[in-house]
Amino acid sequence: MLASLIFYLFATVLVASAVMVVTARNPVHAVLFLILCFFNASGLFVLMGAEFLAFILMIVYVGAVAVLFLFVVMLLNIDFKSMRQGLRRQLPLGLGVGALLLVELAVMALHWSSDSQAFSALSTVEMVNQATNVDSTRALGRLLYTDYFYPFQVAGLILLVAMIGAIVLTLRDRKRVKRQNAAEQMDRRPEDVVEIRKVKSGEGAL
Amino acid sequence: MNVENIYATFPELFLASCALMLLLFGVKRGNDATLFTGLIAVVVCLAAGVLLIKLPSFVEPGQAQLGVSALCHGCKAFGGMFINDAFAQFVKVLLLLASAIAIMLSWGYMERHGLERPEYPALILFATLGMMLMVSANDLLALYMGLELQSLALYVLASFRRDHVRSSEAGLKYFVLGSLSSGMLLYGISLLYGYTGSTGFEALAHVLAGEPPIGVVLGLVFVCAAMAFKVSAVPFHMWTPDVYEGAPTPVTAFFAAGPKLAALALFVRVLLQPLAGLEHQWVQVVVFMAVASMLLGSFAGLAQSNIKRLMAYSSIANVGYALVGMAVANEAGVQALLVYLSIYLVNTLGVFGVILCLRREGVMAEKIADLAGLSKSHPLLAVAMGIFMFSLAGVPPLAGFFGKYFVFLAAVQAGMLPLAIIGVLTSCVAAYYYLRIIKVMYFDDATEAAVDPVPEFSLRIVTGGAALLMLLFVFMPTPVIDSALAAAHSLMPQG
Amino acid sequence: MLLDLAAVFLPLLGALVVGLFGRSLGDRASQLVTCAGVLAAAVASVLIFHDVALSGGDTHAWVLANWITSGDFKVNWGLKIDTLTAVMLVVVNGVSAMVHIYSIGYMSHDKGVPRFMAYLSLFTFFMLMLVTSDNLLQMFFGWEGVGLSSYLLINFWYEKASANSASIKAFLVNRVGDFGFMLGIFGCYLAFGSVQFDVMFQKAPDLMQSSFSFLGASVPTLTTLCLLLFVGAMGKSAQLGLHTWLPDAMEGPTPVSALIHAATMVTAGVFMVARLSPVFEFAPDALAVVAVVGALTAIVAASIGLTQFDIKRVIAYSTMSQLGYMFFALGMSAYPAAVFHLMTHAFFKSLLFLGAGSVIHALSGEQDMRKMGGIWRKIPFTYAYMWIGSLALAGIGIPGVMGMAGFYSKDIILESAFAAGMTHHQAFGVTAYVLGLIAAFMTAFYSWRLLLLTFHGTFRGDHHTLEHAHEAPWSMLGPLVPLALGAILAGKFGYDLFVGEAMAEFWRDSILTLSYFPPRETHLGVGTTIQFAHHVSDWVGLLPLVVALAGIFMAYVFYVWAPSLPGKCARGLGALYRLVFNKYYFDELYNAVFVRTAQRVGKALWTTGDDAIIDGYGPNGVAALAVRLSQRASALETGYVYHYAFAMVIGLAGFVTWFWFWA
Repeated sequence: MLASLIFYLFATVLVASAVMVVTARNPVHAVLFLILCFFNASGLFVLMGAEFLAFILMIVYVGAVAVLFLFVVMLLNIDFKSMRQGLRRQLPLGLGVGALLLVELAVMALHWSSDSQAFSALSTVEMVNQATNVDSTRALGRLLYTDYFYPFQVAGLILLVAMIGAIVLTLRDRKRVKRQNAAEQMDRRPEDVVEIRKVKSGEGAL
Repeated sequence: MNVENIYATFPELFLASCALMLLLFGVKRGNDATLFTGLIAVVVCLAAGVLLIKLPSFVEPGQAQLGVSALCHGCKAFGGMFINDAFAQFVKVLLLLASAIAIMLSWGYMERHGLERPEYPALILFATLGMMLMVSANDLLALYMGLELQSLALYVLASFRRDHVRSSEAGLKYFVLGSLSSGMLLYGISLLYGYTGSTGFEALAHVLAGEPPIGVVLGLVFVCAAMAFKVSAVPFHMWTPDVYEGAPTPVTAFFAAGPKLAALALFVRVLLQPLAGLEHQWVQVVVFMAVASMLLGSFAGLAQSNIKRLMAYSSIANVGYALVGMAVANEAGVQALLVYLSIYLVNTLGVFGVILCLRREGVMAEKIADLAGLSKSHPLLAVAMGIFMFSLAGVPPLAGFFGKYFVFLAAVQAGMLPLAIIGVLTSCVAAYYYLRIIKVMYFDDATEAAVDPVPEFSLRIVTGGAALLMLLFVFMPTPVIDSALAAAHSLMPQG
Repeated sequence: MLLDLAAVFLPLLGALVVGLFGRSLGDRASQLVTCAGVLAAAVASVLIFHDVALSGGDTHAWVLANWITSGDFKVNWGLKIDTLTAVMLVVVNGVSAMVHIYSIGYMSHDKGVPRFMAYLSLFTFFMLMLVTSDNLLQMFFGWEGVGLSSYLLINFWYEKASANSASIKAFLVNRVGDFGFMLGIFGCYLAFGSVQFDVMFQKAPDLMQSSFSFLGASVPTLTTLCLLLFVGAMGKSAQLGLHTWLPDAMEGPTPVSALIHAATMVTAGVFMVARLSPVFEFAPDALAVVAVVGALTAIVAASIGLTQFDIKRVIAYSTMSQLGYMFFALGMSAYPAAVFHLMTHAFFKSLLFLGAGSVIHALSGEQDMRKMGGIWRKIPFTYAYMWIGSLALAGIGIPGVMGMAGFYSKDIILESAFAAGMTHHQAFGVTAYVLGLIAAFMTAFYSWRLLLLTFHGTFRGDHHTLEHAHEAPWSMLGPLVPLALGAILAGKFGYDLFVGEAMAEFWRDSILTLSYFPPRETHLGVGTTIQFAHHVSDWVGLLPLVVALAGIFMAYVFYVWAPSLPGKCARGLGALYRLVFNKYYFDELYNAVFVRTAQRVGKALWTTGDDAIIDGYGPNGVAALAVRLSQRASALETGYVYHYAFAMVIGLAGFVTWFWFWA
């Protein structure tokens, strides 16, 4: 009873804040609503007993990603007003299509429970998990390094590519910037770099 | 970990390790070593291709010299997430070839535009790796991972010319829309998982044998939409012209060849293996997308003045023809699709080779009008371009004719006559813009100074080789056709 | 074999060499090469004639190469040289050789000498292909080839608008005939299963009674086929109805008129019917049509000839009239007589044409006889030639002693007609004989009218022209000698062989003539038309000579003794004269019925059919639609990411909705 109450609370706030992310006029507000979104989502994860995921969501998404977002939004000072131009004109059509899709997917979701075959398959997964009787973090780790080893490794490669991409697209190799190289400075000797010449009077370099 | 896993994925492992080492090497040596890293990347691609073909004979010494065509059905690895059947092998060989050519095409361009950076070949290799994983995916998760690895590398490549506003724009557009399609894909995957309790292809195929619930059908629709985005089929094609135009030309060449092939191959595998039970449903989607792509690609191409944009619409139309082969949904259809794509791959790389040759005082000439008088200033180049265009238009005896022929033949034999008729009609429309290029090259007088002489040896090799292949396919079609048949055969449910 | 090949292919060789390299060879070399080629071919032809026709050698039959093999349809390139072909070889190559040499002088001032010589040789080759063919298709090849060369030569002076239209007219009218010929060939293949003459001839008797159903009516097969083939012959040989091109064809240089439009090409139709005699013989109704058309042509053409003033046109109508004689001889189953007349006619008509050419040459291109007169002193040789030619044409001779060529050949034709009328072709024979007599009278009249107007009386043209008038060079007069000899002697010496005692030996199986039982009891028993012709009463053979002499006498009355008479006559006859003078209004009729209608239909089809419907909805409409669609499609690409994303979502929603509600 209490669990379902908390579920509906989290779920309602999650959906409401998600709507606010899209509709908020101030971009900073939008990011803050996004953070609220994440909080509620992690609350739902906790309710499902996936505490590891909940904390990952908090640490990575709220702690790193959303805060980074906030910085970017503040730094860039994007004029959202101009981006909203034409919204009013296209809003009815967009709302219509969105509503249609929503209704269709919702009706589809209502059909789900009646499908016994998939339901039983999923519940067997759950039973297996319960039978092993380990906490979810350990179970997750076990799965990741056994059954899902392959996608896990590929995910590593994806992150690597993302990193390369970020560097390729942003790192600038500025040629004119002088940098100090201590070792080079220490190695310099007068005889390597200083040349003494005799210059006749009146013929010096101009 | 089992040794089988390493054997089955050896070419991929090889490619990944080489890419990582190349990256390290490139970072150490800086931008000066770009040509060298590029060379190594080409060698790596070719070596991976050789490994792919020759490895089975090392692994299974009992079976003598099998080659691509006669591999065992389903050399699986990683708990069935990865599969290396004849179909995957066929496509992978083509992919590696396309990547090698794409790197070769880039040399002069990158140098002239101040883009000689070692990350470029490395990113191409990673993208290629992603494509190979896609083609070999035997699980929805593996599929997604491969797709993302490929896509991410491609997003970066599209905006590789970061100081050029169009290139950045292209990368960003591709990224945003790609994310949307990834979202659709994940939603579709979650639906399929939710309704079947599995992500493995065999399990899915098993569960989906009967009358499907509506949720599965919608999951299929979402997956199809995401796939259609990757192959740029109408109505998920919108990014294509902008990205093709904005991305650096060698990258566009790569886009038009490799990722398209990989995504189509993945599409075919997903529809024909795990979702085979939903054939009645997805054929409707594929037929619609095929017709819409053929129509839009043919008609919208008529109004283009930029040759890269034109090639974007051409690629949309060509995807439409390939989807015809997919809609047939039998062995002949898949074979036709593979033959078609093999030919299209070489053809389009050749076209981009020619486009890369067109420079006027160092600046890329991308307008169709820039081709005027090419027949006088560069007769050989004009002949090559003429061959490519005639081939794309499907004029016998060039290779492009046979590609279309097999696809339409498969459609007719499967009773899909209207599809074949629409295909023939739209290819007539599309022939207009292909032939217009020939007309401009041969009959229009040059308004501006002639384009610069063809510089790089690699460009000459690629365009000349591609033109020869298009010309000579008619004499040696059997290797391609037979391998494609074997590949298609391995994809079909056995027994 | 070598001789046969030489006779046929040397002209082609000359044509190719001169046609391709004429410019670099120059005029002199071009003339030399083509003349040498055709002369050699002529010599070879005479040798072949001697071998095949005179010494009774076997028919030469060679298969040179396979042409078409399609299913059971097989056609070869082949040569078949029997007596009939040998006669034609001698006529074609002989006249052609003379015309080639004559052209050296006649065309000496022209700038297109190599082209002219090449065309002439090319024509000769096609004509040889026509006569040596052993199947219908190869004959058709030659048939079309001579048509082409004729077109090229009529239009040789292509700067002249009248030459352009004359050549196009010749081509088009011939196409009408060729269409019939083609249908005939197709029909022959259907009926006989082959277009090889040997096979056809073998099967023809069996098909005599056969018929096929056409539009519900039962039509006799052989008669239909023969009529279709005869339509082809009518076109090529300018028979009444399809004759209008021939007078206009005189726009070409005179040697062309002599070679193509008098001696050889126009006789191709006669040759064809003679060649196919084993088929025509079994289609008596078709033969009757041939006879009627021939007789009508003979008299109509002759009557037009009476009134014309252009010297070449008079001879052209005369040619047409003589061709009519040949056809009615064919229609009476007197094939040998027709070929005999063909041969003699080739000599005297080319002589007349070349002589006329010499007159025109002398008078600086003047062709109107009203502007000539009294020039016989200036060009005595030409005058003599023209006399010989006219005498031969009118058929003058002393019975029992010696006559000009036409005397024998025309007589035998008329006698055959009379004989046929007495025996099996009652309805037509006597009529044809009477028409032939009238035509003979007219022939003599217009021949002497031409002679008198041209050479006698006072000169009516520009006196500068008269001062410049000069006899032609020897290169032009020389070639006329053999032709003149032919015109004098060919009848006397050919008579026995062609239609006389030695006939059977001479023709052997190259011409088939069936024998008839005379319907009335005669002492002759069974025989062919020609055999009967030798036994008609004497007056039948004398009458043509009498009317010819009468014609000559009338001409003298009209144009020497009472020069005002022609004008009075013309006025007196009024409408009749105008009808004849305007060539029975054939051209006007065709213009009104066919040309205008075709133009109107064509214009209607062009403006409404092609422009409005086919182009409007077809190429142009589709192209415009494509452009519009293309602009729409490109306009979809706005460049805004959210538009693109929206499009994707709409697509997705569309698919989802489709599966919810319709699938």
